[in-house]
Amino acid sequence: MATRPSSRQGTSRRSIVIVIAAAAVVALALVAGALLLRDDGGSSGSATPDVDFTGIPQEGAVLGDLGATVRLIEYADLQCPACREYTKEVEPTLVADYVRPGRVVAEFRGMTFIGSDSVTALRFVHAAGLQNRLWQLQEALYRNQGAENSGWVTDDLVRDLAADIPGLDVDKLFADKNSAEVTELLAEDARNAQADQVSETPTLLLQIGDAEPYQIHIGFDPGALSDALDDALQG
Amino acid sequence: MSDRGLRIAALLVTLAGIGIAGYLTWAHFADQSVVCVQGGGCEKVQESSYAEIAGVPVATLGLASYLTILALLLWDAPVARLSAATLALVGVFFSAYLVVVQLFVIDAVCIWCMANDLVVAPALAVLTVRRLRS
Repeated sequence: MATRPSSRQGTSRRSIVIVIAAAAVVALALVAGALLLRDDGGSSGSATPDVDFTGIPQEGAVLGDLGATVRLIEYADLQCPACREYTKEVEPTLVADYVRPGRVVAEFRGMTFIGSDSVTALRFVHAAGLQNRLWQLQEALYRNQGAENSGWVTDDLVRDLAADIPGLDVDKLFADKNSAEVTELLAEDARNAQADQVSETPTLLLQIGDAEPYQIHIGFDPGALSDALDDALQG
Repeated sequence: MSDRGLRIAALLVTLAGIGIAGYLTWAHFADQSVVCVQGGGCEKVQESSYAEIAGVPVATLGLASYLTILALLLWDAPVARLSAATLALVGVFFSAYLVVVQLFVIDAVCIWCMANDLVVAPALAVLTVRRLRS
């Protein structure tokens, strides 16, 4: 008689162990799947720029006609996948339809909240800005974006990308990267982000003339950007 | 605690999980930033490559899991109790991985994601007790 409860207990214990083991196996499979299927941004490294900046004037971080009344300010972290998506999906429309015709001027402001590679990338980008090639380098970096803080912003990568940007002096770019001027540009971006209360990227602000900038939310929809810019252009 | 009390507790915890995972899923698809206690952490976690598996947001997987547990709770057959407890256990294991990723890989904490990861633990406790009692 004493064997029945103990046998039931044994079966129950076995069932618990089986359930825990099965759950662990499923969880492990999920974790493995998560790691294997993770979109780390990859270094897809398309050689063709997503945006054509040819012939558009640049001055530091500003792209386009400085006389334009409407200014689009973009806060971005060069490691942020959403910023890469924005650059790929929306920036071509911004540049072709609004910046190139001189209707809107665009300004890039960098953030570095994701980590060390953000700082390295932003230093290179601002160094390119000293040669008025900031926009080409930021676009090229997004196109070759790697996993966060994996050390993907290597000298070799930047040298390769920079070599493909017409008019960019690669040696000067590397010399300027750690200059006091670039350090100050990073600090200025951080101060502006704080003043504009920016806590995520990409964040877009529109400024009409000298008025206070206001934030717009467009996702990755070029049509939504056009609507916001058209509204701003109509005053 | 009575079985009815346990069932209500399980339902409440599961509904909390649905609420949190639903909010994170909505924020993802509506391209809205989540309300964050401290700036930066939420965006950093949500924008990281760990926030999706094969293009599916982790929050959506969580939402699907909680909805399945809710359905099993409403069904309430012995096999449903076992399935709910097993699913919650899978959730605990996977959530442990997500917490480790937040703390040591991404090096940022999204309070909503953390809540989503942690709410599964009391769900497991209640569902396990119910399963053992059945």
